[in-house]
Amino acid sequence: MCRTGDVDEPFESGSETGTDAAFTALLEDSAEELYEAAPCGYLSTLMDGTIAKINTTLLDWLGMERTSVVGRLRFPDLLTVGGKLYHETHYAPLLRMQGSLRGIALELKTADGGRLPVLVSSQVKFGSEGEPLLIRATVFDASDRRAYEKELLHRRQEAERARAEAEAARRQAEADRGRLADALAVLQQSLVPSSLPAIQGLESAVYYQAASPEQLGGDFYDLFPVDDKRWAFFLGDVCGKGPEAAALTSLTRYTLRAAAVHDPEPQVALRTLNAVLHERYADSGDPRFCTCLFGVVEPDPRTGRALVRLASGGHPSALALRTGGGAELLPTPGGMLIGVLPDARMRTAQTTLNRGDTLLLYTDGLTEARTGPDAGSMLGEDALLSFAAEHAPAAPRELIAALTGLLADATPGPTDDTALLALGVPFTDHAGTADG
Amino acid sequence: MADLTVARRDTEAGPVLLVAGELDFVQAPVLRQHVAELALWRGACLTLDLSRLEQCDSAGLTVLLLARERARAAAADLVLAAPPPKLRRTLAITGLDAVFTLRPDEGSSGLRRDEGSSVA
Repeated sequence: MCRTGDVDEPFESGSETGTDAAFTALLEDSAEELYEAAPCGYLSTLMDGTIAKINTTLLDWLGMERTSVVGRLRFPDLLTVGGKLYHETHYAPLLRMQGSLRGIALELKTADGGRLPVLVSSQVKFGSEGEPLLIRATVFDASDRRAYEKELLHRRQEAERARAEAEAARRQAEADRGRLADALAVLQQSLVPSSLPAIQGLESAVYYQAASPEQLGGDFYDLFPVDDKRWAFFLGDVCGKGPEAAALTSLTRYTLRAAAVHDPEPQVALRTLNAVLHERYADSGDPRFCTCLFGVVEPDPRTGRALVRLASGGHPSALALRTGGGAELLPTPGGMLIGVLPDARMRTAQTTLNRGDTLLLYTDGLTEARTGPDAGSMLGEDALLSFAAEHAPAAPRELIAALTGLLADATPGPTDDTALLALGVPFTDHAGTADG
Repeated sequence: MADLTVARRDTEAGPVLLVAGELDFVQAPVLRQHVAELALWRGACLTLDLSRLEQCDSAGLTVLLLARERARAAAADLVLAAPPPKLRRTLAITGLDAVFTLRPDEGSSGLRRDEGSSVA
């Protein structure tokens, strides 16, 4: 390396110098030309701002003659009013303090009255004693960048406006949905009672869940007095969903209430309902049906027993949970889907509830709920009967709570609506031990 | 959820509809439309082959009852063939087993799935 270097160095060195010179000559005629025709503006001022030197590029941007600028104007004179103010309050003090500033956005006034957005960087040149001598500044044309920023701002404002409009639309939709939900809730309240009456010698509990708040439920129930000793109750399910089903539910509920007061015999009430629905819908081309369990209960607080008479119009049988444990179906045979035939036959079945016995009426939302590890199997009637037997004896509230828990863990079945009504004869004080 | 398909085959005794899938609130109108468009005559027998029915809710029952009305209006008969156990239980609970004519087998002259037109 050393040996060869000794020989080659002078030649190579000379060659490099020649190449540099050639490049310099090729790129710029001179340093002066580089200064004057640089792609940015150059400006030198005295410490008081008086312009001492300015390059041609900047003069061209300003549209000014060198003679009218050098020694005649101060740097702030080139700025807009806002720029002057900013220069005086921030730019100049900062520059004096720091010795340099970079990329400050300012606007220059051009000779033709226009404005040129620029980015200015300044550097103070100090003498050998550290005294400030002059200020050198480079000026970059920032009009493209300003336009870009303006465009960005414009786009952002547009995006914000669009977002605000979407937000307003969303709020409106939410408000509309809220009003609709309110209206539906009011309608829904006409389909089921808001609360069950308190009955001496009888405890009651209910669960009601419509498929969705937007969809009026097709399940219905009620409990009301028919005279001073007896109470009527019913629970059912109309075929179909939506407003038409709700209209049918409403008709059904008030027909049964009126019929029960006229004659509380369960099969008579259901026959009346059957006749009304058949007459109303059979020839409409849009036949409508419902299933219903209708019962009359006569509690006797003295004996602690309640006599229950039940009739079914095509509805799943009620269950009875007995005070001594176990549960049984209460068959209501022969009852037909209501509204199909002009003269449907119903029969009344009868049972007695003793202290601690509980009667359960339900719609198929309960038995069709999907349970099991993969929600693959329906609960079904047999499993419901087993579940009830395991929980017997259970007061109405306990039973409804247990079934609500069962439903909470299940996937709703295809019917979705679920209504549960439980009636029981409570243990009285002398039977208090049975509670523990 | 299985879509409802209805395949029709005309026999001497009358039309046979093979109803497969779920006959629920959403899909019941499909069968309803098929039943409405059927040609029936006095003494004919409309057979609904339900052997491949997977689900039937109250809206489905309504369409079955509509088919019954349609047949009665034409002085024809309606037969529900091969209702699955679950439907049979539903028909029993609703008392409709006394209203419909049920037949345990799949209906007349052995309709196969690849015959007739299938409409989803």
